Amino acid sequence: MRDRFSRSMITLAFAATAAGAIVSVSITRTSAQTQTASATSHTASAKSSATAPALKTPWGEADLQGIWTDESDTPLQRSPKYANQEFFTEAQRAELDKERAALLGRDRRVERGTELDVAGAYNAQFMSVKHTGARTSLIVDPPNGRIPPLTPEAQKIAAAEREFRLALLQATQTCKNKSVGCAGGKYDPTPSPRFAEPPPRYNTARMNRRDNPEDGALPDRCLTGGLPEFGGATGSFRRIVQTPGGIAMFYDVGQGQGWQRNIIMNGSPHLPANIRQWYGDSRGHWEGNTLVIDVTNFSPKTDYQGSRQNLHLLERWTRTGPNTLEYVVTVEDPTVWTRSWTVKQEFTKQSDDENRIYYEPRCIEGNYASPGLMRGQRMAEAAFAKGQGPDPRISDNATDFVGVEDDPLQ
Amino acid sequence: MRRRFSGSMITVAIAAAAVGAIVSMSISRTSAQAPAAPAARPARVGGKPNFSGIWEANNEANWDLQAHAALPAAVTQPGVYPYPYARVPAAPVLALGAAGAVPGSLGVVQGDGQIPYKPEALLMKKDNAEHWIDRDPELKCYLPGIPRAMYMPYPFQITQGTNKIHMAYEFSNTARTIHLDKVAGPPDDTWMGHSVGHWDGDTLVVDVTNFNDRSWFDRAGNFHSDALHLTERFTLMSPDIIRYEVTIEDPKVFTQPWRIAMPLYRRVEPNMQLLEFRCNEFVEEFMYGGLRKQPLVKHWEGETMAVDITRKVPSGDKFYEWYGGKQ
Repeated sequence: MRDRFSRSMITLAFAATAAGAIVSVSITRTSAQTQTASATSHTASAKSSATAPALKTPWGEADLQGIWTDESDTPLQRSPKYANQEFFTEAQRAELDKERAALLGRDRRVERGTELDVAGAYNAQFMSVKHTGARTSLIVDPPNGRIPPLTPEAQKIAAAEREFRLALLQATQTCKNKSVGCAGGKYDPTPSPRFAEPPPRYNTARMNRRDNPEDGALPDRCLTGGLPEFGGATGSFRRIVQTPGGIAMFYDVGQGQGWQRNIIMNGSPHLPANIRQWYGDSRGHWEGNTLVIDVTNFSPKTDYQGSRQNLHLLERWTRTGPNTLEYVVTVEDPTVWTRSWTVKQEFTKQSDDENRIYYEPRCIEGNYASPGLMRGQRMAEAAFAKGQGPDPRISDNATDFVGVEDDPLQ
Repeated sequence: MRRRFSGSMITVAIAAAAVGAIVSMSISRTSAQAPAAPAARPARVGGKPNFSGIWEANNEANWDLQAHAALPAAVTQPGVYPYPYARVPAAPVLALGAAGAVPGSLGVVQGDGQIPYKPEALLMKKDNAEHWIDRDPELKCYLPGIPRAMYMPYPFQITQGTNKIHMAYEFSNTARTIHLDKVAGPPDDTWMGHSVGHWDGDTLVVDVTNFNDRSWFDRAGNFHSDALHLTERFTLMSPDIIRYEVTIEDPKVFTQPWRIAMPLYRRVEPNMQLLEFRCNEFVEEFMYGGLRKQPLVKHWEGETMAVDITRKVPSGDKFYEWYGGKQ
């Protein structure tokens, strides 16, 4: 469910920021590094960082400074195709690279000349395809590379969310045509009375209604970006600046939706429980050369795979080489998942000069999409009231219409 | 379709801004008696003064860089007298009472205290002041720009690294990196500018360029163009006070360079940290409330103060059209 909506969310975020956001990021290694070397270090990182060379700041801490990104594509969860296979073989990676090089990351084509086809003519400009990574999944624990099952309570909440969203789609062509956006729902020509209801809980994702700003997905409202941050279709960059006793991180994600963390390093306890934040509360300390950060106090308005205010992250950042940084994060929320799970990523240092990231989370400054969608809906309602147009509730303005091309990696 | 805003919608944004100022000031005073944090922060980094820490201006510059007497409100209307000094708060801010008033200041503009506007630019500044609620980017939670981010009533954090100095601002979740090494400027303009620093003895000198023309200096409508060029100077006056000085050049708007200067104070509370002030959420009602299917606020009723306002926006106001106010 979430994946399907996140695709639409990304599309709209681009629409919202296309005019205002300029992000100048390109993947450029700071020094020559062959693919072979990169592949070897992936394997090495699996063994841990204990033997890693210590790159130190002048004041003796491990030096994590620079701009970092994951230069390869690895799915968060392991595809059933590769069950029990933690790493791809070199032959598999070469084959996947070949197949994926032909992908444009775009929406599927449907009948030429139709509105549906035009609606999908967007993402090719924004979705990047990087080399296939060494691992078959970012998740290294549980060993099957999959997010653990939801708790019964979380399943109930997810089902309620799904039912509500499907109800708002039931009278649309999406359900009539049994499109993927209506999976699990059924067509009913009468718009659902649930259009008048608030969502089952604070809305964070796209829904087929624009009665209020809050009906938009968080990225529509310039409220995206957050933890954990694993990249996604547009990649993500983080700049780390260190000083004795302090660490600043600035993330550049999704074109103009940048955000920052200031890691509290003085050993003090987390914020009081009544202070909840979009990016949580990050408390760090050093364990040898590894920066360990404990993140809590998330806002109930955030949502990561169903986890909200009870999300707890334990991050480990280790400089593993001149151009490499290992990031390991354990994700925990006993109200959502039946056990904790762990992701491992390897970041590569990026050229500082060629990545003149603006650190401008400018989004609201050019967000024409969010008010535009509401205004469009009000106009459609007014036209319908005068008998000059269809009931806007039979239009689908929420799902991704035709679906995206299949990535064999996913 | 004309958009109608009720008074309470508008007051929300102003209340948020005003309360921010009040709270931060009172906390500073209370904690002055608290013991200082243990010295985990060395006085110097890489042989240079260490500016790392959380800082905040404590002045009225964000209201108006120039000297001004206290005002009943940022927007006023004629009272019973015709005199300009006897105006009363205008309806959009009336409900805030004294919290909506503007504190007086001796100003931070150096020299004769005047901002050397070109004649046509001075007219624009006055027009901006009259349309403050419609035009000030702060009310919309837009990126504040430099130097305004330095003296807004919110803390900011300096992280002084080896070749970068990072400044994270609480307001609007924004930041800038000062490059001590050479990094070419961006290919297009920005709200927060492109900052390149160097040391002049123990003073950090920062050259800031690549601005757009959309940020303001204050709530009084002082503005600049995309030709803005800043030279900032940071000097430690004591471990907990920075002298912050900026030379402002913009040949499109000003006849000559001019300077502002002020102290920045360390937030010495032992548990001080930046909290989020993600105001784009807070201003949704202000900006988009009129587009709801069922507007939340039509007017106030019952025992609550009833303030019903039609927000008139001058035709052709680009600041309004930016966020799609026109059909």
